[in-house]
Amino acid sequence: MRLPHLPKMTIRQRIIVSAVIQAIMICVIGLFVYFSFEDVLSKLRSIERIDDINIALLEMRKAEKNYFLYNDINALKESAKLGEEEYQILLSSKPFMGSILRGPGRKNYDRLLDILKEYRSLVNNLVDGKAAPRDFGEELRSRGQELTLVSEGLLKLERENVSQTINNNVIMLIAALGIIFLIQLVLWQYFFRLIIEELNIMARMIKIVSEGRFQEVAVKTISPHNEIEIAIKAISDMAGQLAKREEEMLQAGKLASLGVMISGVAHELGNPLNNISLMAQTYLSIYDMLGDEEKKIYMGDIYNQTERIHKIVEKLLDFSRQKKQELKEAELKDIIDISLLLVDNQLKLAGVNQHVVLARDLPPVYVDASQIEQVLVNLFINAIQAMPKGGDLFISAGHDSETSNLILEVRDTGTGIPQEILPNIFDPFFSTKGTKGTGLGLSVSYGIIREHHGDIFVESKEGKGTRFIIKLPSLTG
Amino acid sequence: MAKKILVVDDEKIVCDMAKAILQNEGYEVETFTDSQLALEALQHTPYDLVVTDLMMGQISGMDILREVNRLYPNTKVIMLTAYATLDATIEAIRERIFDFFPKPVKIEALKQSVKKALGD
Repeated sequence: MRLPHLPKMTIRQRIIVSAVIQAIMICVIGLFVYFSFEDVLSKLRSIERIDDINIALLEMRKAEKNYFLYNDINALKESAKLGEEEYQILLSSKPFMGSILRGPGRKNYDRLLDILKEYRSLVNNLVDGKAAPRDFGEELRSRGQELTLVSEGLLKLERENVSQTINNNVIMLIAALGIIFLIQLVLWQYFFRLIIEELNIMARMIKIVSEGRFQEVAVKTISPHNEIEIAIKAISDMAGQLAKREEEMLQAGKLASLGVMISGVAHELGNPLNNISLMAQTYLSIYDMLGDEEKKIYMGDIYNQTERIHKIVEKLLDFSRQKKQELKEAELKDIIDISLLLVDNQLKLAGVNQHVVLARDLPPVYVDASQIEQVLVNLFINAIQAMPKGGDLFISAGHDSETSNLILEVRDTGTGIPQEILPNIFDPFFSTKGTKGTGLGLSVSYGIIREHHGDIFVESKEGKGTRFIIKLPSLTG
Repeated sequence: MAKKILVVDDEKIVCDMAKAILQNEGYEVETFTDSQLALEALQHTPYDLVVTDLMMGQISGMDILREVNRLYPNTKVIMLTAYATLDATIEAIRERIFDFFPKPVKIEALKQSVKKALGD
């Protein structure tokens, strides 16, 4: 059901407003019940009165009958006294018979008073001897009968009135319950459904953050209007901060990798530099003996060596440069090749043999290639450091057609990781390498792979080696 | 008879230059860019001097040094390297290295060292 929009309210305001509405509702229903009970009660009271009057009327008529049967003047006096009392009761009952007097009972009440008046004057006349029983006996009797009839009529009318009132009240109570139910529905719709929806949004955001996909949640939200929206904005801001921190970590991780790569880099730069030096020295010392063609060859070789240095420097700069994540279609093979090139000398120095096995027809991946390179360089450096006496580094890539994931495996034959620290290796700043490591490499790698909606696992046996498995969604998936 | 020198370096230019320079000095020079092949050559050919690079992948300069020491205790070894850790240097000294040249190598200094090693 679509409802018109209410002004934005905080949860506190919503709770107060809905509590006030409910309190008003309860008061209204309470008052209604109170007044209907009061009404029924007053009607029951007047019924009681009429009942009393009826009984008194019967007493009076009994006295009247005794007078006619035994011609006992005392009985007639008794009847007159009862009639008088009756009249007084009827008059004094008037304030208690409000409901009767307002309804059709009014006629009966007035009639009762009139007849009673006539009856009394008849009896009084008889008592005073102003009239003879012969003349008035019949009239007195018929008046008495009429009194009984009217009084009983009044009673019947009032009983019907009470049951009618009770019926009406029951119907109205049921209707009121229905209205309460409807109001509750509206309150829910207006005040609380939105809260549940926003809580669900918040839960989804927290889940995404816990999966490390900060960037997805770090969006500019609308200005918050209630407590949950404030919390949502806080989560979004937090994710933004985490994304920023992660970027910094990424960079710190890269620099840490570079630090380890420095010996390899020195070696890689040292060789072409040496070649240039050797050729220049030779060229200078035998310059006079060289023909033009030979001089050209020398200079060409020197130029080629400077190009070699240039490429290495470029590669390093490219690796260390801080870049925004840039997803592109890429071939896993190229990424593996470049990563291996970056640690090529490192492998040589450590006496590690590389074995690359790639499945045929690997589908392309949609990744930030330089980030995946960072992950691989990291894993390679870890593997090399785990094999100080040389060993084998196996790199394989395959495609799981069922999940359409690409599965990349990096395995070494190194020292392995103790089982007790295996769960911690992806934690930031967790390192077993002392001053040699920053503890950033694997945590940054983990972050990168999760950002790519992938997964990274580790298996290790002490003394046997370690295997890292990376799953990345392929483009065909 | 000319003294025989073995030069091992995975950089072809180093091999070529060393060959040109040392041949010019009157030595007989054989070069290998593949250290595995150099190790095999050592099994059947004795050399008067071995000039080798340290870092060369599977078979390193240190392996060549050890093999030379084992097969021909009188043969001297001169080592070149683009980057050496202190550990590697100490190990080389313990294995009775004759001389150690960081790259880039000064040709004159190398020539002097070769002469000294061969007792000329």
